[in-house]
Amino acid sequence: MAELLLDPKIRLWVFLPIVIITFLVGIVRHYVSIILSSQKKIELLQVQDSQVMIRARLLRENGKYIPRQSFAMRRHWFNNEETGYFKVQKRAAASQNPMTDPGMMTDMLKGNVTNVLPMIVIGGWINWMFSGFLTTKVPFPLTLRFKPMLQRGVELAYLDASWVSSASWYFLNVFGLRTIYALVLGENNAADQSKIMQEQMSGAAMAMPQDPKAAFKAEWEALEITEHRWAVANAEIDVLSILDDHQHEPQQ
Amino acid sequence: MSVAKVTKDNNKSEPVAYSDAALRNNAVVVEYCRTSMAALSGSTAGVLGLTGLYGFAFYVFAVVSLWVMFMVKTGPNWNKYYVSRQSLLTNGFFGALFTYVLFWTFIYGMVHVY
Repeated sequence: MAELLLDPKIRLWVFLPIVIITFLVGIVRHYVSIILSSQKKIELLQVQDSQVMIRARLLRENGKYIPRQSFAMRRHWFNNEETGYFKVQKRAAASQNPMTDPGMMTDMLKGNVTNVLPMIVIGGWINWMFSGFLTTKVPFPLTLRFKPMLQRGVELAYLDASWVSSASWYFLNVFGLRTIYALVLGENNAADQSKIMQEQMSGAAMAMPQDPKAAFKAEWEALEITEHRWAVANAEIDVLSILDDHQHEPQQ
Repeated sequence: MSVAKVTKDNNKSEPVAYSDAALRNNAVVVEYCRTSMAALSGSTAGVLGLTGLYGFAFYVFAVVSLWVMFMVKTGPNWNKYYVSRQSLLTNGFFGALFTYVLFWTFIYGMVHVY
């Protein structure tokens, strides 16, 4: 079949172990991160803030279903210059620097311990232990552009691009077993390395705690410019016209 | 957030509300089925020793047959469970393809290369 003959012992001692090691390391990482993970402490004040924000938004969106006086009363409670909730509550501006928060520091450290460290250690170990093997051949032809991706550690210029080296086989497994982890461990598992890498790249913006002061100000403005338009003002007329229709129908 | 759908069969357009939690649960179940399908069909392709385009054609065949199985399972009232039949067929096509290729390569390497 193959124009290149590989020793069957490579299959038993390199090809198969890499798959098994990658898979089991993912499982172990999942459980280690469960052990290390700390329950996020929720501040009472934060919950209160977010609930108030939800209530204000609901009032803005669905205020048309309550009478004008009720709407004005609720808005007054939020927006009044002297006693309104958004005016009275003074929140300190959120600290911009996560380094000052020791809890966040610990979380970051734990994340690094469970995610980055195994990747470096296991990847380095695989590279050292199984270096320089051609392990398998992908069953479809590939162009030369794939050679650096699939043949890391084996620099042979004339080798067909569809052969896969041991180091590259490890990386293929790391990324390809992701969906299998979702199957075995359930959704949102911690074994998924590639997702964590994405988070590390884009995480700086998302991890920033939201600033309640700015959010209150924005919500105050939005509520201030909301115009009350009562949706059920014509309810009686509508009901009567429907009744009229029903009365006329049998006669037709 | 619920998804509203407008039926076109009569003049009165009647919005149909879907439960978001149920839709999400269905999507998770479908995703599990798709992963299993990709792994199993990839292994099958590896054992059979399919190469090149035959392997990818087999993947398309597996995806379509999984879709047909969904349709048989849901019966005529499929829109009780899913918003769209087409997206059921096409969602996650490439994500599962990666799993398929990995299993295909793995089993093909185990059986045919050495």
